[in-house]
Amino acid sequence: MTGIQHKKRDTRGRFLLGVLAPWRFNSRSWFSLASSASFPLEAAPLTGSSAVRGWVVGFWLAALAAAPALAQPALEIPYVPTPQIVVDEMLRLASVGPRDVVMDLGSGDGRIVITAAQKFGARGIGVELDDQLLIVSEEYARRAGVRDRVTFLEQDLFKADLSQATVITLYLLPSVMRKLKPRLLELKPGTRIVAHDFDFEDWKPDHKTTIRKNVMLWIVPAKAAGRWQARLPIPPIERQLEIAFTQRYQEITASARLNGVQAQVWDAALSGDRLRFVIVDSTDPDNEANLYFEGRVIGNTIEGEVARGVGAARATYRWRAIRTSP
Amino acid sequence: MRSQAVPSRIVAACAAGALFAWAGAAATENEFPDIPTPFLASTPLAVDEMLRLAGVGPRDVVFDLGSGDGRVAIAAARDYGARGVGIEIDGKLVEESREHARRAGVADRVEFRHGDALEADVGAATVVTMYLLAPLVEKLKPKLLAELKPGARIVAHDYGFRGWKPDRQAMISKNFYLYVVPAQAAGKWQLRAALPGGERDYELEFDQHYQELRGGVRVPGGFLPAYEARLSGERITFVLVDDGMSHRFEGRVRGKAMEGVVCSGPGRAPAVNAWRATRVALDKS
Repeated sequence: MTGIQHKKRDTRGRFLLGVLAPWRFNSRSWFSLASSASFPLEAAPLTGSSAVRGWVVGFWLAALAAAPALAQPALEIPYVPTPQIVVDEMLRLASVGPRDVVMDLGSGDGRIVITAAQKFGARGIGVELDDQLLIVSEEYARRAGVRDRVTFLEQDLFKADLSQATVITLYLLPSVMRKLKPRLLELKPGTRIVAHDFDFEDWKPDHKTTIRKNVMLWIVPAKAAGRWQARLPIPPIERQLEIAFTQRYQEITASARLNGVQAQVWDAALSGDRLRFVIVDSTDPDNEANLYFEGRVIGNTIEGEVARGVGAARATYRWRAIRTSP
Repeated sequence: MRSQAVPSRIVAACAAGALFAWAGAAATENEFPDIPTPFLASTPLAVDEMLRLAGVGPRDVVFDLGSGDGRVAIAAARDYGARGVGIEIDGKLVEESREHARRAGVADRVEFRHGDALEADVGAATVVTMYLLAPLVEKLKPKLLAELKPGARIVAHDYGFRGWKPDRQAMISKNFYLYVVPAQAAGKWQLRAALPGGERDYELEFDQHYQELRGGVRVPGGFLPAYEARLSGERITFVLVDDGMSHRFEGRVRGKAMEGVVCSGPGRAPAVNAWRATRVALDKS
């Protein structure tokens, strides 16, 4: 966007627009907003009380379009709208559906949360500092017919309550991503975070696609690190499993003892609260088999199923582990 | 490696281990000394893992190249309900394999052929398993790509193909690589798709490196890249962005034609339409 390159504020232009605007003008990339009017809302005809407001916003946008290259102040986080194609891909990659609450941090003109509600059936929360962008977002939401399913909060994104979101969308500069990362890692395991262009550096995305831009998905991993114990009810004898995980984001490695004997752990993986790994069971040396573990990490317990053997010999058993030390 | 073989074979296994170590060191110097693959039986765990990774089922025909004492073909029949074919160059091992199959009660569903894997007719295989040294694996690659049908799975134990990224990989005691034989999508295609904006004709072009595709469509005054283009056997997927929306193409490549459905637009209710492409005569100019 051209707007964010300007450093100086053209007070004359601001005054002019301030007169035209029925609300306080406080500086933002209005030029960007006006020129991004391609945001493809399936606009419902304006009726009733919203028509007045719609007219006001429409007039405002028309005035902006007429004002060439409106000057910009330097902003802490610039407003650069995400292309609609990329918005669509972010929500698709995060598998957004009707049971999701999508929170966009730095929601700009509201396009991500509005698209999430209108096209994906989700609920949406936009967090934005700029009150004018919030007013425009609400108007867009009304025109899209999703005003009842989206909320816009005038708030610093670092102060927002992220706990109700199942999906968080971001398009923020690397420094802001870095600052946000520790908070995101404390969210409920399984929370999806989707961003484009900028990533979380050493926290590798779980999935990545390229549709015009690089779009990346992270799934907040459960805390699996520590020592765990489980009794495995696998005939003919119950087996005692001790397993220790080390964890770096979703990447885990493990070492284990099965009935007191060192056993190697293979293919360990964590996705949200879903954990899987394979242990070679040599308890009976004449009947070795792989144990395929799957489970969910819920606080200090892991619960799931373990399969022994493959093909016709495959049998599954429930298993449950307790964390004995962090 | 734990030897589960008869004692006389332990010596052979140890010697083979030394050969393997040497071959491994040589491979890192990009040289492939052509040593005959010794008979080193896969452990029952490795046999299971190969068949599991390939998703073997009752409709499969599993060819084991270098079938040794027949254990892979027999396990495919006994544990997975598939048919098994073993190719083995050592006549004595072929005889042993037939005896093992009789004892396992699957003699009617497995077959052992005495011969060289490089000469064998493998066209009927839906799954190929192999536990061979790197030089032989490399020699087999063009043959398998040419003779197997798109969608056939190849599972390699320890030594995979160079330059061909496995479609899946598992490391459970050993490395296992799964490759799905890709269809031929490289070249120029005339693509016709019914899109929400009307029927479109595009000139589609792909470069192909095994299952990886790169390409796009020519449009007046430019080129639209095909994003996320992939092949899995004969199944092809790619995304074109046109008219301000994403069009997700999914379909099958069948010789000189491919066809399928295209989903346009985001969310839960994309427009779903049919598409079809026909191959434009290859010209090398």
